[in-house]
Amino acid sequence: MIRTTDLTKKYDQLVALNNLNLSVDPGEIYCLLGANGAGKTTTINLLLGFISPSSGSASIGGMDVFENQKATKSLLAYIPENLMLYPSLTALENLDYFSGIAGRKLPKSRLELYLNEAGLQGEAFDQRISTFSKGMRQKVGIAIALAKEAKALLLDEPTSGLDPKASNEFGQLLQKLREKGVATLMATHDLFRAKEVATHIGIMNGGQLKQEFAANDISLSKLEQAYLETMDYKEELS
Amino acid sequence: MILKTFHKETKELLRDGRVRLSFIIVILLLGIAVWISAKQYQSINEQHAFATQTDRTLWDNQGEKNPHSAAHFGTYAFKPKYPLSLVDQGVDKYAGTSIFLEAHNRNEAQFSAAADQTGLSRFGDLTPDFILLFIIPLLIILLGYNSFTKEKEMGTLTLLKSQGISSTRWMIGKWLALFLPIFLITAILLLIAGILLSSLDDFGVFNWSSLLGMFLVYIVYYMVFINLVLFISSRVKKSGISLVLSLSLWIVACLAAPKAASNVAESKYPYPTRQEFAAMVSEDKKQGLDGHNPWSEESKLLEEQVLKEYNVDSLHKLPFNFDGYRMQKGEEHEARVYFKHYNYLKDQFEQQSGIYRVLAVISPYLPTRFMSMSIAHTDYASHWDFSDAAENYRIATQKFLNDNFAENSEYGNWGYKADSEFWQELPEFEYAPPELSTIIDKNKSNLLILGGWLFGTFGLLLFNTKKL
Repeated sequence: MIRTTDLTKKYDQLVALNNLNLSVDPGEIYCLLGANGAGKTTTINLLLGFISPSSGSASIGGMDVFENQKATKSLLAYIPENLMLYPSLTALENLDYFSGIAGRKLPKSRLELYLNEAGLQGEAFDQRISTFSKGMRQKVGIAIALAKEAKALLLDEPTSGLDPKASNEFGQLLQKLREKGVATLMATHDLFRAKEVATHIGIMNGGQLKQEFAANDISLSKLEQAYLETMDYKEELS
Repeated sequence: MILKTFHKETKELLRDGRVRLSFIIVILLLGIAVWISAKQYQSINEQHAFATQTDRTLWDNQGEKNPHSAAHFGTYAFKPKYPLSLVDQGVDKYAGTSIFLEAHNRNEAQFSAAADQTGLSRFGDLTPDFILLFIIPLLIILLGYNSFTKEKEMGTLTLLKSQGISSTRWMIGKWLALFLPIFLITAILLLIAGILLSSLDDFGVFNWSSLLGMFLVYIVYYMVFINLVLFISSRVKKSGISLVLSLSLWIVACLAAPKAASNVAESKYPYPTRQEFAAMVSEDKKQGLDGHNPWSEESKLLEEQVLKEYNVDSLHKLPFNFDGYRMQKGEEHEARVYFKHYNYLKDQFEQQSGIYRVLAVISPYLPTRFMSMSIAHTDYASHWDFSDAAENYRIATQKFLNDNFAENSEYGNWGYKADSEFWQELPEFEYAPPELSTIIDKNKSNLLILGGWLFGTFGLLLFNTKKL
């Protein structure tokens, strides 16, 4: 569903992403780990078509992202680190608007269903977003993805700044989406959450994908060790 | 998507306390301005009717009198107050309301409202045209300056893009959400004005099509402002910068450009001073026949021509009173002199208007203002039109009186008196301002410029939207 082939992005002399090859199939959650500047967000921005690649290709649902922007965007949903919605609108109104933008005209009952499925309490549906915590906003983001019936989900540090409970709830939501067959690519610093939710994990550094694992094949401690090694923190290990 | 965005934007606007407060202030100001203008309009109309009737009664009841004495007694042409001046007072305040019509002289309109006021009148009046031309564009800025920048600042633009938003439809939705409240405010204002005017007993030349024409002019003006404000908002990243740029645009378009245009026009095509003008007229008058002076060279020449034409050897043998005839010929000469000099003033006015039209390319305010005043019959061109009609009436009146003198008395009989009923035979001064079609025809260039602004800014906005 999500695939990159030798995907490269350069800004003058700076190589932000170097020959990235990865694929995420339906029902998989691929977590990209890496420090700031590792190339995670660049990867997501390339997959969203927000920036164009210097070389290589990226596709969603078999369609090239840069040649079929409209079609590929209809397949994907995106939740950034700090999901910003319209503060003076309610959760329901935000969901209605963003779904409408994506061409989904849904009755109120369906929208409520999606908000409910995303874990939002009923009494919050008609509350303005300005009163919402980050965790609640992320849930609306998930509802937007659900309402869109997205086949691919791109997440950029979605659990950053969430308290453990909210982070855990978010992880459970991702599992629900995985069960629905959604292919998820999540960029994160959170090793624990990555180990918990991912089916595949990749570690990036300096714009390159350094290591890849099947999440079931690696323990959290091994993952941490691999991460630190990749980040050149060998001194700390010794 | 257009409708969704429109609904979303409208909800956001309605839920913003600052916007609600601004709306209330603007509507209150509009209400007060319309109420004040309606009161003024009614009061001036009553004064106009009273003055017209009083002056005519005085004229009709002069009793037995020599017609030339009556010509010096004179009469007045009172400028009517036009219904749409309730919306746009234009230059009415400064242009004078009545013209004294007498023998030998073309007088300027006098008794302007501004002359009756103190220096405080320099602060300006709260009138509907002030709200329409200055305040509503400010409201557009307040409502629209952050239309796109807030999406960038809040981060919603990223989410919208990921949802596959169509930039053009998104922009149209935002445009409509900004346009609708402005459309409604303008429509309500002009509708109230129309109802007020059509409910008055004597609403003169008011017609709904003129009001509709004025409404359309203002709507186009606001569309241009909406386009410019949205364009700025879509080009910059910060709301603060967008606000400053939009306000700068307003200052240039509504305040600086009209004053600059006025300065340039006045310096390039100046009017003569009152003294210079009077001196030029006086000099030219001296070059022709003075109806009062039977001994002048021109008078003697006229005598010779008339005697020859009627094949008589004495003025006493003419079938009319040569004194009256000479008075009329003198009037005709003076009328030509006045037409020549007033045509020069009109030419200067036309040249100045040309400068305004050129400078209208830097400000949509200028063509809007001119068309609004023109439709309301409160521009200088309307004043000229009235002034010319009054002059034509003055000339006709002098002929009416001189003909009576010439046809009913003998040469040298300055003691002749017309009957007391004679004065009632003078037709009343009636003036009909230009029709809407004539106004549109005269304002073709302003229409074109405003149309250019509209399509130019729409093009700019649409072109830029693709880059969002």
